[in-house]
This record gives sequence, C-alpha cells and structure tokens, in this order.
Amino acid sequence: MRRLLLLLILCGTLANGQAAAEPATIYRGEQTLFADTVWSGEILIDGILTVAPGVTLEIRPGTRVLFTRMDSNGDGVGEHELFSQGTILALGTAAAPIVFTSAQPTPQRGDWGALNMMVGEADNRLEHCRIEYGYRGFHAHFSQASLRAVELRDNLRGAQFQESRVVIVGGRFIDNTNGIQFRDSQVELTACLVAGNQWGIRCVYSDVILRDCEIRDNLINGLNLRGGSLLAEGNRLVGNRRGLYLQESRGSVRGNLLADNSEHGIFLENSTVEVSDNRIVANGRAGIRWLNSAGRLFANQIDSNGVYALINDGDGPVDARGNWWGSADPALIALTVRDGRNRPGMGLVDTSAPLPAAPDISTIPEYR
Amino acid sequence: MDLNVRTLLAPVLLLLSIGGCAPLPSGEPAAPRAEPLRYAGAYAGDLFWEGRVVMAGDVLILAGGSLTIRAGTEVLVEPAEGTQIDPDYLSSQTELLVRGRLDSAGTGSAPVRFLLVDPDVAESYAWAGITLDRAGDSRIVQTEISRADTAIRLVASSPLIEGNRIVGNRYGIIVQQQSAPKILGNTLRDGEGGIYCWRGASPYLKGNRISGHDEEAIFVDASSRPWLDRNSVTGNRIGLAIYSRDLPVDEPSFRDNGEDIRWLGRQGLPDRLP
Repeated sequence: MRRLLLLLILCGTLANGQAAAEPATIYRGEQTLFADTVWSGEILIDGILTVAPGVTLEIRPGTRVLFTRMDSNGDGVGEHELFSQGTILALGTAAAPIVFTSAQPTPQRGDWGALNMMVGEADNRLEHCRIEYGYRGFHAHFSQASLRAVELRDNLRGAQFQESRVVIVGGRFIDNTNGIQFRDSQVELTACLVAGNQWGIRCVYSDVILRDCEIRDNLINGLNLRGGSLLAEGNRLVGNRRGLYLQESRGSVRGNLLADNSEHGIFLENSTVEVSDNRIVANGRAGIRWLNSAGRLFANQIDSNGVYALINDGDGPVDARGNWWGSADPALIALTVRDGRNRPGMGLVDTSAPLPAAPDISTIPEYR
Repeated sequence: MDLNVRTLLAPVLLLLSIGGCAPLPSGEPAAPRAEPLRYAGAYAGDLFWEGRVVMAGDVLILAGGSLTIRAGTEVLVEPAEGTQIDPDYLSSQTELLVRGRLDSAGTGSAPVRFLLVDPDVAESYAWAGITLDRAGDSRIVQTEISRADTAIRLVASSPLIEGNRIVGNRYGIIVQQQSAPKILGNTLRDGEGGIYCWRGASPYLKGNRISGHDEEAIFVDASSRPWLDRNSVTGNRIGLAIYSRDLPVDEPSFRDNGEDIRWLGRQGLPDRLP
C-alpha cells in the first residue's frame, strides 16, 4: 500500500513538472475576462485580451506574461496586448518580479502593444514589474495608476498616458525610444531613473512633481514640459542634450543638479519659474537659456558651463541677482552672460549682488 | 513540372504579377498626377517620391525599408500642432524619421526641396526636419531644407551629406552618438547654429560654407572628434566652439566671426582668474 502511495505521489510530481514547461494559460484571438481572475506562472497572450469593467485581474509575484507579435499592417508595431477597463493589480516582489515581455525568440521594441488602462475608476497598481519590448509599455487614458519599482525598458515608449493621475515611485525607464510621455495629466515621479532614451520625459498640459529622480543620457531632452506646472526638487539631470526645457509653463526648480547636458542645463521659454539653490555646471552651450520668461534666478551655482553661464534670448529683463558665477568680480561675471549689452534688442540680465563663493551645496546632489 | 501544373499556375502568377505592380501608396507612382500624393505613417517597403508630394504628418521609414527622393522633387510639409504626443515618433512637430535608408538624390539643376505647404505660417521653425536614427546606407545630396528645427539630425548614422542648401533652420546639422558622416560642400546659413557634434560624433567636414548664424557655426563637445578640412566659416556670432584639447583645427577657415574660436568650459571667463 505504501509503495502504491509513493508511486501516485511520484506520478503527480512528474505531471506538475511537465505542466510547468508550457504556459499555464493561453489566450488566443480576442477574448474578455468577465470575472475576477488571478494569474500565476506563465501566461501567453496571442491576441487582444480585455478586462471588462468592474473586473479585477490580479497577477501574482513571479508571473511571466508573454505576448506574441502580430503586425498586421506592417507599421512596425505589434498589436497583441492587454486592454483593461477594470482593475489591474500586478504586485510582484523584489525577489519575484512580474514580467511583461515578448514571446519572440529574438525580441525587439514594439513586438507587442501595451498594458492599456482605460477609464478605470479604481487604482491600477503595479509593483516590482518589468515591462519590455512593447510599443507603449504602460498606457493609460482617463485612469488612475500607481507604479512602484516598475522597470520599463526597450519599449518604443516606456509609458504614455492622457487625462490620468499617475504616481510613480522608484520607476526605471531605460533604453526606450522615448521614456515617458503624457498630456492633460497629474503626475508624481519620485526616485525614478530615466536614462538612455531619445526623449526622457515629455509632457504637455500637465502638472508634474519631480523629486529625487535621475534623468540622464537622453538624446534630446531630459524633461520637456509645455503648458503645465512643475515642482522639481533634488533631482539630477545630467548628460542629456537639454536638461530641463519648459515652454509656456510655470513652477519651481529648487535644489537640483543640472550638469553635463550637451546644450543647456535649463531652457525656459515663455515660462514663469523660480530657479533657486541649484548646481548648474558644465553644460555644453549655456547653463541657462532664458527666452521671454519671468521669475527669479537666485542662490544657484552657475559655473564652468560651455559658451555662457546664461543667455537671454528675449527682449525682457532677467532677475539673476545673488548667484555664484565662478567669480564675484562684476566685470568678469559680465563676460559669462549674453544679453542686451552684447546683442542689441535683447533684454538685460541683472547679476548684481553675486554670491562671494559657491553656495552651501550640501543638500544638492554631487556632480560625478 | 508538367504542362498541366504550369497551366494551372499561370493565372496565379499573372494575378500576383498584377498585384505587385499596383500603384500602392508605398510603391512607385504609376503616372504623374494633378494632386500630389500625401504621405504620413510608417512605411516598411521601398518608397519613391517624385514630382510634388505632401508630408501630411510624420513619416517613418522602418528598418529594412527605404525612401528614394528623386531629383527635382518638392516635398511640401504640413506643420503639426506643437503639442501632439501621438502619433509622433520623436518630435512633436512633423518629422521625417528614417531607420531604414534614405536617398535624397537632387542634382545641381534639379535639387530636392523641402518646403512648407503654407510658407506664411507664423513659426520660424515649423517642422522638425530629417532624422536618421541608426539608419542604413544613406545620402542627402543637392537638397534644400529650410524652416526646420533641425534640418538634419544623425543618431548613430553615417550618411553622405553633400552639396545641400540648409538655410533658415534653427540648427543645421546635429551629429551625435558615434555618427561619422561625410559632410561635404554644403551651404549652411542664417540659423541659430550650424553644425553640432555631440556625444562621440566624428564627422568629416570639408568645403562647407557656414555663415550668418546667431550663435555657433560649429560646436564640438568634449567627446566628439570631427575632422575640419578647409571649411569657410564667416559672419557667425562664434565660428568654432570647442574644448581645449588635442584636436587639429584649420584656423584659417574661421574668419570674420564675432569670435572665431571660443574655448568651452569657462562660460566666457578668462583662463586665469585674477
């Protein structure tokens, strides 16, 4: 009898081992989840899977969700994807992250569509997930979402959302074509890394809070906001083409490092911004480019930039009193500024009351 | 193969042949048309432009695909809203983004021209320009580009850029990310800046005429190593902006600029402070 039991247990173990070799669940074609569903193990999506309104899809730690590639119109973008009108709870752990990826043997950006979240009323939550090789890794419209410790890499767009409220903590947006882009949204980014994309963060008509993030080595702009508001504190924007580019926006930029950007550390265009307590150093063309903007520039270290410390390209004045320019000598400081004194028609920059030395920078991130 | 099978296959081959010759938007135009063909979206095959065509939105040439623009072609660009985030590829403005191959093959008597559909639009720089992003073997020859944010931007791409007129753009040519193009005999004029070498670029610049820029004619960052060979750089605010290092510079090329050479990294301060 004991031998028979052992044999049965052994058979059961073998059967389980065999089942684990193939996806536990496969969705083919267009399907919809009409009831709450829990995923674990390996899931294959060979089509478009919709989560119906009111339905919760819970994804357990360690789950791998694979999408096959189907590019029916030849536009270089795969169409198989997850489309949620309900709620997604993808709560991985550091030890057992959830992975959304391509099923292709040689995956590439755009193999599959997106994790789409549309008109969800409850918070969609993703924690300890990796999303890769999608068109828009994470995509939301009219939704609320919280992303914690989510890595989005090698997508055409890491994340894209519209008319949404999104909180991202500890996110990593790496080597996507574009990192994050959104419009008409309220977005908080804390302790995120946005690196190696063409555009790092690009947004319009949005309210953005950016804290303790590192935005580096993006080929066009680190952060570009148009028509919105920004609170940026304690960030490192380094090695981008432009570090921070604000257009028709308002906000506060305080206590950040803006360094080694090829073009400008900060470019303000038709904006109203208070820029203070930043370290703006070693940027290629100029530390700051100021175009028809208002606000103040004070208590910053503006040093060792390429051609100029500050360029005023507008016809209005710039209040830049009380900064460190690499020198406290007014005659030398004048050499670091391009304005109406050496370019007729442009406004003047007031660099009076310069700091006698670089400000206390203990709270600002170190450069290199 | 016996005769019966061949007889059966013949109509199939005929249909395939007709299908292959059909005038698809991404194929060769069958005949001159009164209305220019309009293009927008992603193209995977071989695309040919000639006569007058309209870029009605972003155009993406996918890896493996190609765009050939024949001599004398006028490409009329429709500007886009500066706030679009979809379906743009890189810029919010209308862009030509090439990840395959580009052959813009103008001639001296029949250049390729990129023009705005409506030249009266208010924006000085009303479209993004041409970006080659890890593109294959490409050339831009005898082509006129104006009113772009960046007339030509190269990311890890090394095309031949020869004999072009790049006038009235914000930036003329941006070379970055290990691009090593040949930039020969071009005219770059009247923009904010001329040629920018960023992030490990190593272009060969020979015989270019660069003038009338509000800022730098040529900008070289610390990681780039261009070869500057007998260019004419005059009448710009700054002729050459470059970090002080071991890089041969043909100084006679830089004449009559506001400053012929600006050494970077001191933001205008002298080398030694008092």
